[in-house]
Amino acid sequence: MVSVDLLRTLGNKYSAEILDATEEPKSAQELSDQLDIPIATCYRRIDELTDHDLLELHDNVLSDDRRRIKVYRRNVDAIEVSFEESMLIDVEKRSEVTNKLDEAWRTLSES
Amino acid sequence: MVELTQTGIEGLDSILNGGIVTNSTTLVIGTPGAGKSILGLQFIYNGVEQFDERGIFLSFEENREDLAAAAESIGFDRWAEHVEAGDIKIYDKRRLLQENDFSDTLEVLLEDLGQDQYDRLVLDSLAMFELFFDDEGEHRTYLLKFTDILKQNGLTSLLTNEQSTVFPDTDIGLENFLTDGNIYLIQTPTESGVTRYVWVAKMRKQDIETDIYPMEITQGGIDVHDNASAFSMMNDSESPL
Repeated sequence: MVSVDLLRTLGNKYSAEILDATEEPKSAQELSDQLDIPIATCYRRIDELTDHDLLELHDNVLSDDRRRIKVYRRNVDAIEVSFEESMLIDVEKRSEVTNKLDEAWRTLSES
Repeated sequence: MVELTQTGIEGLDSILNGGIVTNSTTLVIGTPGAGKSILGLQFIYNGVEQFDERGIFLSFEENREDLAAAAESIGFDRWAEHVEAGDIKIYDKRRLLQENDFSDTLEVLLEDLGQDQYDRLVLDSLAMFELFFDDEGEHRTYLLKFTDILKQNGLTSLLTNEQSTVFPDTDIGLENFLTDGNIYLIQTPTESGVTRYVWVAKMRKQDIETDIYPMEITQGGIDVHDNASAFSMMNDSESPL
């Protein structure tokens, strides 16, 4: 699963910046504004990163004008590549503990 | 009128002017051996025995058998029975730390919390809970979220925290600020053994007695002498104690 493809995705323009900016959940529009990325490219990068499980759809939040907006959050803390033996790509996921607490807390605030 | 949850420890409830605020989280602070775990056991045990309220006991410090032994050694004879019946739910050290997989256990715990079956919770101790977070900021955020989850699920909670010094004025951490109440258990060595005190330093929404009161750990658990504060006891030669 974790393959050199992941590195290509990561190497695409704006991918690293998007991961860097998504410690807290953000929408495509917010990322586009904040990082100055054309919106179509932004959506494409989000899809690629999500496919590789580096970014996740975190929630559908309600906007001020009562529309559902998808917000994304990065799913990884670090990616390590080593070439010592065969190439090894190690993806360090975000802590499950914090994810679960986030989830439970979010459910609370919705109810 | 604020709704209160009685600890079932008469002297302590009286200092608290009736009890702990329901759905609040209270930090119980003390040096090792001060009686934090015992207060936790008693809070949960009394809940079942006296108030028909079910409780959850999370222990990062001990396993299930040690807890049962500790409970029985201070006269909580039906502890094991209540655990068996499901009125006391234990998450022990073995469970919480198994293969370092706290996140799976957390999921089960969060499910339990959401079921509205429990009224009281003890977490012994916060020191271990901290380990699951990378830095102070993250710890603070998630401690807040966790206490929020407890409150929203209708749990009145005691969280214990070790402290290294007997007198606490130098050792105030973010846990103190993020909880609704702070109860200090203090012990000082004397010629004949140990003298113990309890000090309720903070209790949001509650008018409390903030003096320091003597307490004992005996058969039957913690016993607080609320009829004489420690200082009046020291100064007043006519005190009955």
